[in-house]
Amino acid sequence: MKIALIDGSPKINNSASSILLEELKYFFAQGKVELIEMGLHTLVVSEEIVKQLKRADIWIFALPLYVDGIPSHLLSCFIQIENRINDICKKYTKNVYSIVNCGFYEGEQTEPALHILENWCCKAQLNWCGGVGVGGGGSLSMLPKMPNGQGPKAPIDKMLKHFVEKIIKQEIQKNQYVSVGMPRFMYQLCAQIGWRQLIRKNGGKIKDLGRKF
Amino acid sequence: MKLIITDIEDFNITINGKYKIIKPQEKINHCIGCFGCWVKTPGQCVIRDGFEKTGIKMSRCSELILVSQCFYGSVSPFVKMVQDRAISYIHPDFVMRKGEMHHKRRYKNVIALSAFFYGEKITDMEKNTAKNIIQANADNYDGFVKNVCFYPSIKELEEITL
Repeated sequence: MKIALIDGSPKINNSASSILLEELKYFFAQGKVELIEMGLHTLVVSEEIVKQLKRADIWIFALPLYVDGIPSHLLSCFIQIENRINDICKKYTKNVYSIVNCGFYEGEQTEPALHILENWCCKAQLNWCGGVGVGGGGSLSMLPKMPNGQGPKAPIDKMLKHFVEKIIKQEIQKNQYVSVGMPRFMYQLCAQIGWRQLIRKNGGKIKDLGRKF
Repeated sequence: MKLIITDIEDFNITINGKYKIIKPQEKINHCIGCFGCWVKTPGQCVIRDGFEKTGIKMSRCSELILVSQCFYGSVSPFVKMVQDRAISYIHPDFVMRKGEMHHKRRYKNVIALSAFFYGEKITDMEKNTAKNIIQANADNYDGFVKNVCFYPSIKELEEITL
């Protein structure tokens, strides 16, 4: 079984999407699958990507929530893939799963983006098999490295382990949602501290965060 | 003031009152997720291509009207690019609203959000997704939804008044 891990973040490195795909790889390593890694970071779907998509039996997209939907560059890529779908595969021969992460604490806020993926699959005649919505995605790149299943990532790891089991069995997963393992007030506080550190690092003042024009 | 964001280059829809319109005249770049609009040049996007002040334009409007082709329940790539590039309208800090985490206001204006979607064969699922997204947008802008409508083509849209 060949599985495409597709990073749909516009960020090439150290995005929450890439971190979540690394977690998936860890769980897939325990099964007999061939992983094909690729990135859709720009507006254009290259011939190389098309070739890789053709090879894979299962497509897994990891992406961030942008303004309650999917990032604009990825939307553009989806339209291109739909337009070329007959070159890529026969009808309903590819299974599609997704992980959407958001900066908000509640993973449920990714639901509209998962629905966009489902609607895309309907239009492109792909098999939508469900996804996972991860809340608190903004913290993932800030957390220290910890063994799998430990620390604030533990509930996400547990969800992804279950997700991988479903994918290997090629079963449909009802969309499920999870949040980073820390209380909401603490996540909110950490985010506020983080923004203040970043603006200072960029030579700005804390009050500039609220600058009005 | 009404702020209209549309993917229709040749826009022929009647608009009542004062308005500004953002349409695909210049090349637009997509958001790269750098958060520079919050922590480098707060209130404006760091990409200088003519679309960096959309967040400021949103702060001057009472109505935000999206006129867009519907793709899978989403607005089109152009309209989404403009929206993604305008998160500086809101503040990076979080607040709780309706029991969920959202971003704090940067400005005081309350936006009435409308979306006029067009496209052939928009499915019921896509319509539901679109309505949910527009509601979520309004919640995040701390505004409210005024109207969400669907039309089979631009021609039918041209008969309405915004």
